[in-house]
Amino acid sequence: MSPPRDLRNIAGVRDVALLLNDMRASGVVSDYALFGAAAQMRYTEPVATLDADVLVAVPAPDRLDVLGPIYAFCRARGYDEEGESVRVGAWPVQFVPVFSSLTLDALHAAETADFEGVPFRVVGAPHLAVIALSVGRAKDFARVLALLESGAVTREAIGRLAGAHGLSEAWDRFTRRFLDDRD
Amino acid sequence: MTETERRFQRQAEWQKSRRFLPWPEKIRLAEQMRPAIEAFRPQRDARRRSGSTAASAEHEGSAPPPVRRR
Repeated sequence: MSPPRDLRNIAGVRDVALLLNDMRASGVVSDYALFGAAAQMRYTEPVATLDADVLVAVPAPDRLDVLGPIYAFCRARGYDEEGESVRVGAWPVQFVPVFSSLTLDALHAAETADFEGVPFRVVGAPHLAVIALSVGRAKDFARVLALLESGAVTREAIGRLAGAHGLSEAWDRFTRRFLDDRD
Repeated sequence: MTETERRFQRQAEWQKSRRFLPWPEKIRLAEQMRPAIEAFRPQRDARRRSGSTAASAEHEGSAPPPVRRR
């Protein structure tokens, strides 16, 4: 049964966690993990973001409509699609199927955090940093710096993980540009 | 250090201290920032359409290009 519309409107990240846990329990996704800015905020000061990004592994990744079952599951619970996201209360949730060895590794290594009493799978700091490094926009570089400054991850840990996923060159460029002259 | 510099320093320290807030509290703060982001977004999109480099590559969310439903 769908939640009443007024409750949907005030739903927050806790409801996103509940939805994702249900999705995993029902087998619509094999696993999920929050990443992006909402995950970064476990470690850093609050940052501006409009949506919640969720990595997902699906049982049938080769099907043409890879996100179809996810959208259908959400729709059945009263959460409608909105562009390329699903609106859960205040949060547009964007589902991103694992698309590389790095994101698959991030999903496997994800931590189970507690969000207001609800278990919530979240990508850990080293993988958040290296995914940001791989995306490579200005705001992603800011994320790497914020994670380093928070002490959630070390340069060595990022370097090791970047190397394991073919991103040594990107990490070297990043350190030369942002870190070397700060020491 | 001038008064202005001291203010910036206090501001930076306050900003950094917010990393120790509980995660749900930080998420709520991010939710409160949303109306301001949404208010700026049309201006940013207009700058992008007009080809201004000032708009750069900033946009919310850190996901790679979304997977479109086929």
